[in-house]
Amino acid sequence: MVRRVLLPLLMVAALLMPRLVSAHDLFPGFLELQATGASTYQVLWKLPLLQGQRLPIAPRFPDDCALQGAPVSRQEATALVYKAKLSCREPLEGRVISIDGLASAGTEVLLRVRPWQTEALQTLLIQPEQPEAVIPTASEADQQPGVWSYLRLGIEHILLGVDHLLLLLGLVLIVRDGWMLLKTVTAFTLANSITLSVSAVGIVQMPAAPLNAAIALSILFIGTEVVRFMRGQTSFTLRHPWVVACGFGLLHGFGYARGLAELGLPHHELLLALLLFNVGIEIGQDVFVVLVLALERAFRQLQIRWPVWVRRVPAWTIGCAGAYWTIETTVSLIKGGV
Amino acid sequence: MPLLFAHLMQTGFGGFYDGIAHLFLTPSDLLLVLGLALLAGQQGPQGGRLLLTLLPLSWWIGLAVGQRWGLDLTLALLSTVLFTSVGVLVALSLRLSVQVLAFTVAGSGLLFGLINGFTMPSASSGLPLDVLGVVSAVALLSVLISAQVAATRSTSFCIAVRVAGSWIAAAGLMSLGLLLKA
Amino acid sequence: MRWRWLLLALLLSLLPSAALAHVPEGGAGSVMAGLLHPVTGIDHVVAMVAVGLWGAVLGAPAIWLLPVAFPMVMAFGGVMGLLDLPLPGVETGIALSALVLGVLVMLQQRLPLAVAGMLVGLFALFHGYAHGVELPEGADALLFSLAFVGATGLLHLVGIGLGEARRLAWGHRLLQVVGAVIAVVGVWSLAQVGGA
Repeated sequence: MVRRVLLPLLMVAALLMPRLVSAHDLFPGFLELQATGASTYQVLWKLPLLQGQRLPIAPRFPDDCALQGAPVSRQEATALVYKAKLSCREPLEGRVISIDGLASAGTEVLLRVRPWQTEALQTLLIQPEQPEAVIPTASEADQQPGVWSYLRLGIEHILLGVDHLLLLLGLVLIVRDGWMLLKTVTAFTLANSITLSVSAVGIVQMPAAPLNAAIALSILFIGTEVVRFMRGQTSFTLRHPWVVACGFGLLHGFGYARGLAELGLPHHELLLALLLFNVGIEIGQDVFVVLVLALERAFRQLQIRWPVWVRRVPAWTIGCAGAYWTIETTVSLIKGGV
Repeated sequence: MPLLFAHLMQTGFGGFYDGIAHLFLTPSDLLLVLGLALLAGQQGPQGGRLLLTLLPLSWWIGLAVGQRWGLDLTLALLSTVLFTSVGVLVALSLRLSVQVLAFTVAGSGLLFGLINGFTMPSASSGLPLDVLGVVSAVALLSVLISAQVAATRSTSFCIAVRVAGSWIAAAGLMSLGLLLKA
Repeated sequence: MRWRWLLLALLLSLLPSAALAHVPEGGAGSVMAGLLHPVTGIDHVVAMVAVGLWGAVLGAPAIWLLPVAFPMVMAFGGVMGLLDLPLPGVETGIALSALVLGVLVMLQQRLPLAVAGMLVGLFALFHGYAHGVELPEGADALLFSLAFVGATGLLHLVGIGLGEARRLAWGHRLLQVVGAVIAVVGVWSLAQVGGA
């Protein structure tokens, strides 16, 4: 029984260890554009280094832009930092810039922009799936809402995070009674709050690719447990779901932290923003759990006798999605990593 | 309804949630689903099961057809008459035969889906997430409410359900008058 | 068991709050107009509360028949008013309704269900008609109606709640006082109608 829990956990650890220990690889790239005039910009480009090698990625500006003079470069521990002045014929605001080579590099780029005639900074996350972004205009950057937007961001992140929701669904499905449910949900909440916080303030960094793989694996794992539960079998997880919830909560907390990267944390009100983001996440989670429970209850009240194959659908969905993501993320881990 | 709510709401959470919001922010649609759920619940668990099967399905079919036709119609009179009648049925707490209930549910689902479809642009590519959102919200609301009504037998709750039906009917009746006057 | 009431309260609150939740052009305005419309005339307010009070005096089944039937009959009257169908003596009827209901509540008079139903139904028609005639132009029909019906229902509830106080020791006295006040308002509005 213990083996059944240990094996996947060991696999996760095995996947993570080399990456955590070796280099702090696969940090996101960082591109900052500060307008110094209507169409001139101070550019800062942090190119992440992978075991001393430069990643083959570079920002591509529109054709009417040119660097003024040679860029100044400086080597840091994990990145090469370039500084340069950029001059364009037309203002960049409202136009697209892309990151060459990002699709195959397996990392992301944080883009921070301060448009002309505003003090507001706007942060965007450029991902490999769509390696380009539209430069926000001054009015868009000014609209950047205050600290409350982090609450919304948290809710949004969980509502759109199908992977997180599937894990929660699995946890709810394998829990037998209310007390156990409370313990499980609380454990999950506390655990993900911890890792979310430490990850968001930068105490612990988790590289993206292995994290995704581990999250995918956790979903696959919970899928198999749901199947086991439905067959009437038992396991360590089924007897102590809160322990597993705690472990996976730690893992998914890192995932939540990446949702924060979209906005970046403000330097002032850092703790408040973090708290609100976390509260947003918890609101989303609790709404989802309540909804699942209410649905279960409603189906009971309507005395619906689902056919066997329908009852298997949730478990199969979780399992199949978990398996698919595991394969997908592992492939990209191998391709993009070492 | 004027075209006030015709556009799809932008929640900023993507198409699926826009679809859900669309149902909750379109009073006539919301009232119809509430009314039907109360009505089906009054018929007991069987009614709830019927509603859960038929309403989302017919709504979806109506939506698909409506998106294809894309007419600039809201059919306000017809839809108001429909949900008003549903409200009256709830207030009267009538026992309906399965056929009548099925006909009412399927018919109103098709009509309201159709109207939704007229005003919702069809997705250019990928999954029609907004359609999925609307249909999920319809299914969710109808199953939750009808189950609760079906399972509760206390007199005061039954009266409260009938009061809700009466409010739906009264609001529908008055807006019918306003529509006729306009 | 509290559950189901929570659900129902949620459901009922969905009706107007769904409308309030978002504020498109004119939407919120219609809701506010609808909520406020029934409480703009003192005679209306008093009569609605009196209906609830009398329902409580009558006891079951009138107490629950009333909140079910009243909104629909009133809405029917409203449609008549909107479409300018003739209904004579509306203002007198409304003033009379406050007077009659006030006296009935004061005396804690019970009438047979059919008679009571006819009486209240007639008053509902008058009140609905008056509102229908006065309805503002350009309001969003459904939002306005919902808010209007909700506000009227709440006034009934206030009346029923007050009426339930008759189970208390000092309840009878309270009912007499409230009934008398309502009747006085009725007389006052009757005088207004006569004077005009």
